[in-house]
Amino acid sequence: MRVPVMIALIMGASPMLGLAAEESKPLQLAPEYWPCLPQRLVEMGLQAAKAPDWLVSLGSFAAAAATVVAVFLTAFALLSLIERKTLARAQNRLGPNRAGIFGILQPVADGIKMLTKEDIVPTKAEWFLHLLAPVLIVIPSILALGVIPYGREWLPVPLELGLVFFFAVGTMTEVAVFIAGWASGSKFPMLGAMRAISQMISYELPLIISALSVVMLSGTLSLSGIVAAQGGYHLGFIPAWNILTPWGFVAGVVFLIAANAESNRCPFDLPEGESEIVAGHMTEYSGFKYALFFMGEYLGLFAISGLGITLFLGGWQPPFPGLGWVPSWIWFFGKLAAVIFFFLWVRTTFPRIRIDQLMRFAWLCMIPIALLTLPVAAIWHFTANPDGSNGVLSWLLCSAILAIPFIIITVIFNRRLAPSIRQYHFAE
Amino acid sequence: MIPLLLILSLLILLAALGAVWKARPVHAALLLALALAMVAVLYLIVGAEFIGLVQFMVYVGGVAILIVFALLITRPGDEAAEVARRPSSVGLGLACVAPVLGLLLYAISKGLPVAAATAERANPKLPVAALGRELFENSVPAVLAVAVLLTAVLIGAALFAREPSSKPEPPANR
Repeated sequence: MRVPVMIALIMGASPMLGLAAEESKPLQLAPEYWPCLPQRLVEMGLQAAKAPDWLVSLGSFAAAAATVVAVFLTAFALLSLIERKTLARAQNRLGPNRAGIFGILQPVADGIKMLTKEDIVPTKAEWFLHLLAPVLIVIPSILALGVIPYGREWLPVPLELGLVFFFAVGTMTEVAVFIAGWASGSKFPMLGAMRAISQMISYELPLIISALSVVMLSGTLSLSGIVAAQGGYHLGFIPAWNILTPWGFVAGVVFLIAANAESNRCPFDLPEGESEIVAGHMTEYSGFKYALFFMGEYLGLFAISGLGITLFLGGWQPPFPGLGWVPSWIWFFGKLAAVIFFFLWVRTTFPRIRIDQLMRFAWLCMIPIALLTLPVAAIWHFTANPDGSNGVLSWLLCSAILAIPFIIITVIFNRRLAPSIRQYHFAE
Repeated sequence: MIPLLLILSLLILLAALGAVWKARPVHAALLLALALAMVAVLYLIVGAEFIGLVQFMVYVGGVAILIVFALLITRPGDEAAEVARRPSSVGLGLACVAPVLGLLLYAISKGLPVAAATAERANPKLPVAALGRELFENSVPAVLAVAVLLTAVLIGAALFAREPSSKPEPPANR
């Protein structure tokens, strides 16, 4: 695997960004600390060997990166099986069932197939850019996974600007998709890349705006700070997650839809709609390069779901009081599984939408509603009681400000802007 | 840190030169994106993390993609490269670049001792909160002016992009 090594190198370079390894702590063996063990062991080993400081921090970051990559590559293999099984269940089929019990070895078989396939580079392709694109598409996903706090103690790279970093590396995906589409030297990849880029740009706006309201009320850009701000319980049992406030609910739903679109999943899978443009920007790829695209897509799905959980679902905070003894990363991964299952469910349920519907939905529905959450978050902040909780009046006011324009927008959207007979000029 | 900055600056310069020199417009655009991304890395290395990340988000994710989009929609042929190689174009380009370059060199030559002094200090970090306070307390008029300008641009773009409300024209290229 060349990619994890590269990522480890990039993450290892982060000491140059002013991040220094923390002071050495005693080795902790409680379950809470299990995911940090590799990092801690490498650190202690290097310190025992009297390595210079830069080598210790490099090794520490490399071990942290390797842990994240190992966990999420396993999750990727499992998800590729679970997704097929879930789709099959929804369609009354069996799904993969030959390789191992319940097809549990199917990811291994798929991996062997991908590795042994011929690597085809089309004659008209530019081989260097053609090779660069799949690598570039995996890097941002893994980098983004590095800043998410998975547990109280498990935070691979503690960045103060975690949220900005997440969105900044996320923009690299667009460049990679463009390179993939253009360097293939073929029509379908180019069309798919154009679709993908326009979709990503359009849905990035509601994504970032809905995250902004959380930043406004948490007062920090650090993801661990945002999780910490969601600790505690209202009335002793309702968790203080952002999704359980009026602005947070709306922003969370907008974020969910935009995240679905950003990771190019059904019903927003136009960039690779099989029945329309073969496989979009991946048409001219085969073998392991294709597998890298696949991997980038799933890792991106994990990353953006993880960000959604961090922003709206309380991150690693347990859902009920009195559950503090369970390791916090178990809560995170439980929520991740639930969100991913929701995405699978959406995929089996909805048909693919058309490109003009996609754009209209983004610019006329999602962005106005996302923008609306910003003033409502401000009102929520200024109508709060001195102890930080919000009264009934504040709830009613915020809900009304969000609900009334939503109803107006959807009515306008449905009545005036959706033509009864649709004409699609380019398909004549 | 200074050798690292010099190497990176050299790479940025090479990428930027490539962006000007390359005959195929898409190559030029990608090299420009590379140069802009390396400028972001430059910011990160000197400790301006927020500026670096925003540089990456805006210039690589926004401006470079916009250029690429414009290229693909307008489909410039080989004549674009030909125009760029004409002596008159080269002269015009030099005439545009020379004042900017002179100004930059003047500023650098004036400001270099100060820059060296700040580089001596260990990693001067500005918290984002201080940056935001500076922006929204001391520079509010500028921020508002930019906001009005951008809103006007957005409305103008929407007006241009609006489909004619009368009957739609048939597609041009059959």
